[in-house]
Amino acid sequence: MNPQPEVVLVDDEEMVLTSVSALLMLETECNVHTFLSPAEAIRHLETHPVDLVVSDYLMPQMNGIQLLAKSKELQPEAARVLLTGHADKASAIQAINAVGLYHYLEKPWENAQLLMIVSSAVERTQLLRQVQAMLSDLDNANDSLKDIQTRLIKAFL
Amino acid sequence: MEPTPAPDLELEHLRAQVAAMSKDAILAQLAAGVIHEINTPIASIFSNIDVIERSLDALEAQLGPASPPKALGLVKVIRNLVQVDRMACQRIAGIIRSLKLHARGEEEGMRTAGLNGLVEDSLLLVGSEYKRRITFVTDLGDLPPVECNPQLIGQALLNLLVNAAQAIEGEGRVTIRTSVDGDWAVISIADSGSGMTDEVKEKIFRTAFSTKALGVGTGLGLPLTYRIITEQHHGTITFDSQLGRGTTFEVRIPIKSKEQ
Repeated sequence: MNPQPEVVLVDDEEMVLTSVSALLMLETECNVHTFLSPAEAIRHLETHPVDLVVSDYLMPQMNGIQLLAKSKELQPEAARVLLTGHADKASAIQAINAVGLYHYLEKPWENAQLLMIVSSAVERTQLLRQVQAMLSDLDNANDSLKDIQTRLIKAFL
Repeated sequence: MEPTPAPDLELEHLRAQVAAMSKDAILAQLAAGVIHEINTPIASIFSNIDVIERSLDALEAQLGPASPPKALGLVKVIRNLVQVDRMACQRIAGIIRSLKLHARGEEEGMRTAGLNGLVEDSLLLVGSEYKRRITFVTDLGDLPPVECNPQLIGQALLNLLVNAAQAIEGEGRVTIRTSVDGDWAVISIADSGSGMTDEVKEKIFRTAFSTKALGVGTGLGLPLTYRIITEQHHGTITFDSQLGRGTTFEVRIPIKSKEQ
């Protein structure tokens, strides 16, 4: 993975944040930012590019789907994962459809599965960013070509 | 075995049913809340156990075989304790899974599920209640996944297991077997209990009939089980009972759903 992946974890339970960040710090190269409140997580997302947002569903102030919708608005390319103890089909369907969820995980989660999801989600985001950068380079190159073409035409006229 | 309830006793039974049903609804609601509250800490502990084991692997690799025996011994002690924690958590998680399956708050539809897993989950609940006097023996065959409503099948199995345990006075044995017979998945539950008289045999699937004391049986368990198996799963439920030797219930569920 190129630059150290940035992961945001949001859960109103401190113990979940500690457990998941301990796993990610031990087994991945990710830089993990943990937040007990969705509002604080949003403030972070407003100013820092991240590769992945993992959020709980039931939280005070704002639920996980609302938070991930905000994350999609701020950083559409960052992958979104819902890690929920409140497993009902309606919230899962809503999350997948409305938020473009990368993965829906239920508590208790399997660490091996969580690690696989994190690594593939981060890889996907980084590839997406690379493609965007290449497209932007291509646009710039195209603009320069047009510029050269215009100047050449002008030189010959 | 008590005789058939007289008409005035039937009224008493109906009253008991209503009381039991509203009590069940409150308990189910409470159970759903407790399950939710326990789920997160258990998830966290499960994850931590795994992370501790991963850390011990890394630590052992760092220490190497030439490390002081005391250090390697300590790693081993921690490893053993973590394994015990994992087993303890698995037991709690099993009970939670089983409660979740039986709490009426979460309605589930038809899906593909393994019947052996449902038997084991139901047994966890019944086993913890009756393990002091009843030995539960399982002989679970190789069953393919079956299209079913796991919550309802769990409810039916729970009813049959509780009935089997309650049919035994004092110590006894309940044997649960699963197998495949052609297009059917077969579950049999045999108890070493008192068996049924011919009169009781005729009435067991009737609503409001119960041989149990007031407050113990509602007379709803077997009729409900019958409907779950025959109407909702297009299966069959039969029994063979001999006085003084016990009763065996056999549930057959089609492996391929009739709706497919």
